[in-house]
Amino acid sequence: MENNFTPVRIFFEKRGRAKYISHLDLARCMQRAIKRSGLPVWYTQGFHPHLYLTFALPISLGYESLQDSLDIRLTAPVEIQQLLDDFNAALPEGIRALRASAPVMKPDKIAWGEYQVSIHLPGHSGEELLRGWEAFAAQEEVLVLKRTKRGEKEMDIRPFFTVQQVEAEDGQLHLVLLVAAGGTLNINPALITDAYCARCGWENEGIDVIRRQLYTETMEIFE
Amino acid sequence: MELSQLDKILRKVQKPAQYTGGEVGSVVKELTPGMFRYAFCFPDTYEIGMSHLGMKILYGLKNQKDDIWCERVFAPAADMEEQMRQNGIPLYGLESLDPIREFDMIGFTLQYELSFTTILNMLDLAGLPVLASERTDLTPIVMAGGPCACNPEPIVDFIDLFVLGEGEEVNLELIELLRKAKAEGWSKLQYLEAAAQIPGVYVPSFYDVSYEEDGTIAAVVPSHGAPQRVTKRIIREVDKVYYPDSFVVPFVDTVHDRAMVEIFRGCIRGCRFCQAGFIYRPYREKNWDTLEKNARDLCASTGYDDLSLSSLSTSDYGQLGPLLDHLLDWTDDEMVSLSLPSLRVDNFSEELLRKVAKVRKTGLTFAPEAGTQRMRNVINKNVTEEEVMETARIAFAGGYSTMKLYFMMGLPTETMEDIEGIIDLAQKVVDLYYSMPTRQKGKGVTVTVSCACFVPKPHTPFEFEPQDTVEQLKAKQKHMLDYVTSKKININYHDSDISRLEAVLARGDRRLCPVLLKAWQKGSRLDGWSEHFAMSRWDEAMEECGIDPAFYANRRRPYDEVLPWDHLDYGVTKGFLVREHQTAVQSQTTPHCRERCSACGANQLLGGPCFGK
Repeated sequence: MENNFTPVRIFFEKRGRAKYISHLDLARCMQRAIKRSGLPVWYTQGFHPHLYLTFALPISLGYESLQDSLDIRLTAPVEIQQLLDDFNAALPEGIRALRASAPVMKPDKIAWGEYQVSIHLPGHSGEELLRGWEAFAAQEEVLVLKRTKRGEKEMDIRPFFTVQQVEAEDGQLHLVLLVAAGGTLNINPALITDAYCARCGWENEGIDVIRRQLYTETMEIFE
Repeated sequence: MELSQLDKILRKVQKPAQYTGGEVGSVVKELTPGMFRYAFCFPDTYEIGMSHLGMKILYGLKNQKDDIWCERVFAPAADMEEQMRQNGIPLYGLESLDPIREFDMIGFTLQYELSFTTILNMLDLAGLPVLASERTDLTPIVMAGGPCACNPEPIVDFIDLFVLGEGEEVNLELIELLRKAKAEGWSKLQYLEAAAQIPGVYVPSFYDVSYEEDGTIAAVVPSHGAPQRVTKRIIREVDKVYYPDSFVVPFVDTVHDRAMVEIFRGCIRGCRFCQAGFIYRPYREKNWDTLEKNARDLCASTGYDDLSLSSLSTSDYGQLGPLLDHLLDWTDDEMVSLSLPSLRVDNFSEELLRKVAKVRKTGLTFAPEAGTQRMRNVINKNVTEEEVMETARIAFAGGYSTMKLYFMMGLPTETMEDIEGIIDLAQKVVDLYYSMPTRQKGKGVTVTVSCACFVPKPHTPFEFEPQDTVEQLKAKQKHMLDYVTSKKININYHDSDISRLEAVLARGDRRLCPVLLKAWQKGSRLDGWSEHFAMSRWDEAMEECGIDPAFYANRRRPYDEVLPWDHLDYGVTKGFLVREHQTAVQSQTTPHCRERCSACGANQLLGGPCFGK
């Protein structure tokens, strides 16, 4: 097979039970979906050829995403709508291809992720949750222990998130946060919510996270 | 149950995607009023159970019917079990997420003895009494099938009925009977009485077992109109039997995550230690064109890039040449790799190796099973040292530099000389490698010797044999390690305690049921996993129940003893097993079925000869 191919970036959502598919499992799942779809795709060359695919910044296990992306290489022209239809027919429940185009940016351009986060804190009134949040967000420094390959280290995450929206109901705090994202510095929103709960002396019963969009340093949508 | 109810606990467990369902190929149906609900339970974790071909066949077969909905159920790993118990979430089917205690029928597959306590744990997690006698409602009926159903006595207290042999027909017959029973308001007893009349169905509560003073069985007497002997079911024409055109494609990694086609059932070889070689008789193969279609359908519907031929001995398949040629026609182009497990050394050719090697170069594994020719003759593994060496020569010439050799220790009549023979053989393979002019300079060879402890199994010629004691096995393991001199030989061996427990359960009787119950109550489950297994729980359970494991594991049975499974007819007659045992101890071999029929009795199930019809 010759090295003649057209790169295509497919944006997809990963929702519902699909949020439990890990990154490694997602790669296998997508590979098989592409194989089932019959799309003409490029394989790596060499002794063990495998179907080429790469993800820009796959969402963490347990979180939903409205705009994840996957790059493949087509070896023959396929109309975009046809590609989406064929691919969607092969995808499992919860994963849906939304749009596709030639990749515009390199994944290393990703700098921010916009997350919708709900924190479950039963037994606390909405007002209490809001007050706690305001005090938390007003801090100039938020020190957390971040796990790295070399063990845990303390870091200030306050520069790495901004608050776009806050709402509360009894037992639940709803946030929209812009959080540092990307290959070099990727802040898990749970670090922020855990720090908030710790400061208030509460223990949450879990958080629901949906990543809505990825942005560049200059707040352009990642394309 | 809604998935959102699981969210809270799925966040806290490893590999949550194994508990959510939703995989491609999983079958979700609308719950119509007449829908029969079946829970197919594999008493081990998802990654093991999802590799099992039998489940894929029976899942597809049942779900083909509009009015049957078959769901998959696996044992949760320890972290998930803890979460389920803490949060009051009962064991559920992966397709509907509904509790299986609401289903009509729950079926367990019995693949190995060490999964028995997991069955109890799964029933308990489902919220059902583990004892069959305490489940008084008509539904759910708890049934079990699979290879260990050939001696199900150690678990008869927990299971309502067993299916002997191949399940494609009898499963549907039992389902239709239960549908009728529900419609007509039968009691559970009425249902079991009617079920016992179906060929291949064993209802253990209808058999009364009495014992002699020495602990052996005096008699097994049926009641409730159940037959004296239950004969296993087979599918006569395997080429025409249902085969799935799609599999459930898991998200998480499983042991065998690939497309599989079943090339034949049974085995012509008659290796005397091998239970599968006897209980799956007679030999019946599928045609290559049927298999090629099965393979194409599966690859297309699943997107798998790995295809495997499944059987007890791939190279015995009569149409292997045409099958491989037709498969390799398209697998290469479609980037599908083909694997051929279970190759034999006596008919492994250069041509075959070339075909295998064309696709993927993984390690080669062969199973001489014993180190000396005398020992191989005893077990009827009709393989010579020359054949092993010739295979190694072909493989090394083909570029392989690692080889795995499977052996057993503790075989009947075995001496230390036979143990030394294992290492001698491995050493000869190492020496052969270095004697070959074609070997790559600077590249060493690794020969891995994997040595299991022999477990005598029911329905084999060695069913009469004592197992070596744990002390004997340990001494043999030590001698083997001491005897090796080459660093090119790696040695793995099995835990002798576990093998002993397997020996107790494999040839156990129904007096072991209380032991199982106690072992489970003490925390035994997922016993096949070394991190969960604790021999102490079993030792305590046996002691508290007054059971001597040596009676089951280390005792020689006379030919005329009533064995706990003698009333279960797998086609192969006891007379044949006795003949084979006598031939074995004289180190004499028996030719394979294609060469000559040895009148094992299994062709009665076919109603005619196995070959040359």
